[in-house]
Order: sequence, then C-alpha cells, then structure tokens
Amino acid sequence: MTSVPHRAEPNRSVPAIELRRVAKSFGTVQVCRDVDLAIRQGEFVTLLGPSGCGKTTTLNMVAGLEDCTDGDILLAGRRVNELSPVERDVAMVFQNYALYPHMTVAENIGFTLRMRRVPRAEIEARVAAIAASLELSHVLGRLPAQLSGGQQQRVAIGRALVREPRIFLFDEPFSNLDAALRVKMRAEVKQLHQRLGVTSLFVTHDQEEAMSISDRIAVMNRGRVEQFGTPEEIYARPATRYVASFIGSPQIELMSGVVEVRDGRPTVPLGSARLTLPEEAGVRPGQRVEVGVRPEHVRLGGESLSATVRLVQPVGPATHVVLDWDGGSLTTTLPGFSRLRPGETVTAGIDPRDVLVFDQETGLRL
Amino acid sequence: MSYALYRHGGPGLRLATYAGLALFVVWSAAPVVWLVLSSLLQQKALIARPPDLSPQNLTLDNFIIVVGSAAALGRGILNSLVVALFSTAVALALGAPAAYALARLSVPRADAIAFLVLATQMLPSIAIAIPLFLVISRLGLIDNVLTLGVVYLSFNLPIVIWILRGFFLGIPAGLEKAAAIDGAGVLRTFWHIVLPISIPPLGAAAVFAFVEAWNEFFFALILTRQSAQTVPLVIAAFAGQYQTVFGQMMAAALISVVPVIVLAIVFRDWIVRGFADGMMKG
Repeated sequence: MTSVPHRAEPNRSVPAIELRRVAKSFGTVQVCRDVDLAIRQGEFVTLLGPSGCGKTTTLNMVAGLEDCTDGDILLAGRRVNELSPVERDVAMVFQNYALYPHMTVAENIGFTLRMRRVPRAEIEARVAAIAASLELSHVLGRLPAQLSGGQQQRVAIGRALVREPRIFLFDEPFSNLDAALRVKMRAEVKQLHQRLGVTSLFVTHDQEEAMSISDRIAVMNRGRVEQFGTPEEIYARPATRYVASFIGSPQIELMSGVVEVRDGRPTVPLGSARLTLPEEAGVRPGQRVEVGVRPEHVRLGGESLSATVRLVQPVGPATHVVLDWDGGSLTTTLPGFSRLRPGETVTAGIDPRDVLVFDQETGLRL
Repeated sequence: MSYALYRHGGPGLRLATYAGLALFVVWSAAPVVWLVLSSLLQQKALIARPPDLSPQNLTLDNFIIVVGSAAALGRGILNSLVVALFSTAVALALGAPAAYALARLSVPRADAIAFLVLATQMLPSIAIAIPLFLVISRLGLIDNVLTLGVVYLSFNLPIVIWILRGFFLGIPAGLEKAAAIDGAGVLRTFWHIVLPISIPPLGAAAVFAFVEAWNEFFFALILTRQSAQTVPLVIAAFAGQYQTVFGQMMAAALISVVPVIVLAIVFRDWIVRGFADGMMKG
C-alpha cells in the first residue's frame, strides 16, 4: 500500500459521527436503545459486543441502510436521518465482502464511480491507483471467485477507498479470514487509517481485534452502550461487570462475597483466603460485591492464598495456569513456558490495587 | 437419497438405483423413440397389429410429404415461434421486476400477493375458456397471433414470477446493501447487480415459458381459425375426418419438437442451475 488519496482537512471541532439517543425496533423487538456516541474527526472507533447486541444495526443506521426508530444521527453536525446511504457520503466494507460476483475486480472497484457518472478515463485512473496501493494491479481482470480471501477483502476495501468518502464503516470485515490473515489485515487497516485519517467506525465481536485497532471502543450489550472509552480505560477501568468479563483473554475471574473490615481495611473472605479490596472502591461492611481479578495480576509466591494447580496451558509467549483453592478458582498468566505440573501446591498473591470491585446488584464498578 | 447414503450403501442399493434410473429413462424416452420410429414407417406397417418394424418398411416419405406441403407446417412453426417468443419475452420483462419486488422490496403482504398470483393458475382451463373466447371474439381478435401471445402471457407470467422469486429470495442482502452504499437506487441495483447474477434462473424460466407456449393446444384451438394456427394444431390436422395419417403426423411432430430440443440442449446448464437455485434458496 503506497499511494494516498488526497483529502481535504476536516473540521475537527464538530464530531464526525454523532448518535443522540438512537433507538431501533423491529416490530416488538427493541434492538438498540438510547445509543449516545460522539466520534471525533479522524478517530477510529469500534463497536464491540456479542452477536445480537445491536452493533451491526447501529452501523447500518449510520450508513443509512436502516432507519432509526427514535433519536438523531448527525454526520459532521448535519442531521442525516432522512438521507439515503449515497447522500451520507459513507463507504462500507461488509462481513462477506459483498463483491459483485459477475464483475471483475476493476469493475467492482469502479462501480461506485460509474454510478456517480464519473468519466470512464477518470474511473480507470482512480481504479488503477487504488489497485496499486492495495497490491491488486495483477488481478484487476479477475472475477471475485478467482481471488483468495485476503484479496477479496482488499477489493472490498478498495471499493470503499476509491470514493474518498468522509467516513469508513466496517462490518466485521475480517470474520471470514483465517487467524493469520486476520492479524495481517488488521494491521493493514490500521496503517491505512493512520495514513488517510478518515473517520472510521468498525464493528466486531473480537475484543482483541477491537483493542488492537481502535482509538476508542464502545462496548455494547443488549442494544445499549455499556462503556465508551480508550482500550486502556475499557480494560483497566471497566465501568461494569459485563465490560470487565467481555474484555480480556483469559477472562477476568469474578467471585462473589460480602465485605468485612479487618485491620481497618475492606476485605472479602473467599474460602480460607481473604482478599483485600482497594480503599478507593468505597465499599461498606456487609455490602454484597463481586471482585474481579485479571490473570496477569495473580502473582505466584505471594501470600494471599494457597492453591493447587489444576491446568497448565502454554500458548507460546505465556502460559495460563488455572489454580483451585477452597474459595474458587483463579487463572494466572506466567511469561514463557512454565514448569508447573497439575496437582502441585502453590501460593499466590494479589495486589489490592489490582482488584476490581463491582456492586453485585447493579453490576457497576465501585 | 443423500449422496453420502448412496456412496456408503451396499451393492444392492446401487443396483436398485441403477434399475430405477434405467426404468425412468425407458419411461421418458419410449414415447420419443416411438415418435421417431412411426415417422419413419409406412402407414400400412404402422397400422398392422403388431406394427411391422422390419427395415424394408422404413421410409423418409412421411418427411418428404410433410416438408413438401410445407406451407401449413411452416406457417405453424412461424406462428408458434412468434407466440412463444412474445409471451416468453414479455413474461420475463414483467415477471422479473415483479418477482424482485415481491422478494426483496418492502411490499406489504408480499407473500399473500405471491400466493394470489399463483392462485390464478389453479382455475381449470375450461372455466376461463368460454368467457375468454367471448371477450376476444367480441373484440374481433380471434385468429390473431398476438392475441394468443397475450393469452399465453397470462399463464406464463405467474410461473415466471414464482421461479424468479424463489431465486431472488436467496440473493445475499449484502449485495444490495453494497450497491446502495455505492450509489445505486432500486432500479439500478436491479439492472446492474440482480439481473446479471440471475441469468441461470432467467434462462430456466424462459425455457419453461417458451415450451409451455410452444406446446399449448387447447386455447390455440378455440382462439384461432386458419392464419394464426400454431404447430400443435397443424399436427392435429393430419388426423382427418376419414383417415389419420399417423406417419406424416409423427414426422410433423418430430420437426416441431426440434426447436424445443435444441433450446433445452443449449440452455441445459442454465435450466438445471436455475431450478436448483430456486429450490434451494426459495
């Protein structure tokens, strides 16, 4: 990827995409509700959530492929609820690429320009430039069925790029690629965004993908945005129990307990162990809470608890070790390959500052 | 029977499959073989009991006579071509957009409308023959090739709509969304995207409509007199009041099915793919 389409400098004071209390229902089924998002010019934002959480519907509403039932959608400060997709000046890359099977690569990329009645010579020039930047020049005459998955994905991206739109929308564009290609394409899209600076809204259910590619992530659950923040905020300071458990691999361990004060500090007894909570959680004695500990925060050799190794899972750069004790189980991540064996007894420690505390009733982080 | 079952079944199952297929081939091919044989036999050999199939009775006379009196058959074939091509072309031109609208656009009660379209085909022909004859004769349109074409169109259109709707229902929604993002409205999406990828079902529907119109006898009989007579009527005319010239009738029939057979062979792949797509995705 070498050449860069020319773009005018956007007005950075106005959000590129703004959703105000957007809702969507299909009949009696409410898919999205009260979705509020303000995406800055040039930002790369990901809508992250499981299947059926409303993320693709939200993307489709921004694209103009679905009408919203309630609320307002603004692009560069202009309300666009009633505008068609083409009037919104957005480009979209679809999950299944949605390449036109009867058209060659060149015709696929140039189709949008043809629909805009761009002169043939200009179409050819722009298609050639985009194809060169995406390393597709040698396959311009082929049909989509004659391309590999990665090439098809590049054609889909080329089709979006050739228009030089104000906004890029990506609907799970890598979900049909194998793991290695997915990582490669992810890097290419991120580099592309860094070069072009076009505002991008990306949908995925893959939290690792979202973390690696985004400036900010909106974690969605049951049609609502649970948290909107940078990858670091989402990971280190999840707003809710749901966000904490959705982000991170291996998953955060969540354990229920009742707060007790020992030696003037808030603690939660878990079996024979006692987990000290961070002071700033502001919990009160007798309060029912859930405590969350991420694997990288469980240190072997500490003094919080004594446990038995149940499972050792080497994954290359690290080893995930599952520990059992009478208060539950914990996963710890150790660097490299571990020599631990199932059945061994170890001690583990957890720094109170690394413990996340959630209200058991509301699920909100305390 | 699934392919896996067939592959893993024993020799008995395989034998039964071959026997069944052979029976089906004989069942389907026997009338055609008999048609060819009778067109090549002399009348006396043909009406003998049992028919005398010895080689000395084979003759091309039937074909020579039929082609010699070519005026009637030639006009019949021309009329049939006009009627079949007209009703097929118009059925596709009207049926494809109608099917697309019923399959993909937000038409209220599309399923009910599609069913009503099909329901028009459930009336027995005789129930509409008399009113149709009265209307057409009062309009002075009896014995007109285009009249027959329009009547056939009314039969072909619902079938075309149903075949194509089944296919259109299976088109991935992503293609239409991509076209919308690319700046194509409904009509341009239909023209530039949907139609080109629908060539197999369009071909299947076209062949189906053409054959229906080509072979139709009943309405051709009551709505034509002389100049608009189609092939089936010309063939039937070989059955006279006092004598039925079977050999010539069969020779004429054989000549008349040639276009249909050629059509079926040329478009074989489209027909199979078209119907298979419609069935799987519908």
